[in-house]
Amino acid sequence: MGDPLMLSYGLVGGHPGIFFEDLTVGQEFTSPGRTVTETDIVIFAGLSGDYNVLHTDAEHMKSSLFGERIAHGLLGLSIEHGLASRGEPAAAHGALQGLKWKFKGPIKIGDTIHVRSRIAAKKDGPDPRCGLVTVERELVNQLGEVVQEGETEHAVERRG
Amino acid sequence: MRETPTASVQCFFEDVEIDVPLETPGLTLTRAHVALFTGLTGEPASLDPETVPSLLPLSLSSGLGWRVPRPPLAVLAFMGFEWRFLAPIRIGDTIHSRSRTLTKRSMREGGVVIEERKVINQRDETVQEGKLTLLVARRPAT
Repeated sequence: MGDPLMLSYGLVGGHPGIFFEDLTVGQEFTSPGRTVTETDIVIFAGLSGDYNVLHTDAEHMKSSLFGERIAHGLLGLSIEHGLASRGEPAAAHGALQGLKWKFKGPIKIGDTIHVRSRIAAKKDGPDPRCGLVTVERELVNQLGEVVQEGETEHAVERRG
Repeated sequence: MRETPTASVQCFFEDVEIDVPLETPGLTLTRAHVALFTGLTGEPASLDPETVPSLLPLSLSSGLGWRVPRPPLAVLAFMGFEWRFLAPIRIGDTIHSRSRTLTKRSMREGGVVIEERKVINQRDETVQEGKLTLLVARRPAT
């Protein structure tokens, strides 16, 4: 088996019955990996309507800085959110309130990415039924390079 | 090797105007959008099946930005952004996006443009908003 952290992450579903009180600042999580395919990029272009040549014109991109088509930044973020929701408690149970995000490097067809995350802060929010949890996140490729990073804020329900 | 797309079909850094509002057409969110998006991202189904995943309207707003009376921005790279999710969006809601350029700064390889963007629903409520930082190409020398 690989990284033991992966086992603690939960491979299916979420963490039923996780509340704001159960989360601790400093908790860290590692997601499963996912290989980004040409199909992912084609579907995202069709769905979003973003047909920028960066993502859709293989011939044009041969002579670009990247040398080939790259995934939409927001596709990477969306896959990141999907990977995180498969187990990490804040992403699985907390509605997104806001995010700050940096796109640091390209995601190319065939790259395998996973998420490293850490609970950075907990605070009260405007709704007394929920607390706000800030999570620092890194989206990492198969070479260990951080291709996207940032922080997300989630409203997580309080216990009773 | 083909020619690089020409100025007539792209908006280069030099063409970006500060503070000019751009309003996109609308888009009605359907179950098909939600099914395609959740299938793509792999996130678990929401507890409320009528609610649209938060990142979907944001993703759609970038495509809506291509449907304005201006050629598409010659974006070299999306550098980063800040975003707030202000209100839930439901299947059947019709969103559009309103944006304007706040600042532009010339760099060696192009220019950095900061864009303010709002996603607005059919009741004219701003449901999501934020600021995006884009690296935009200069007009190629002729």
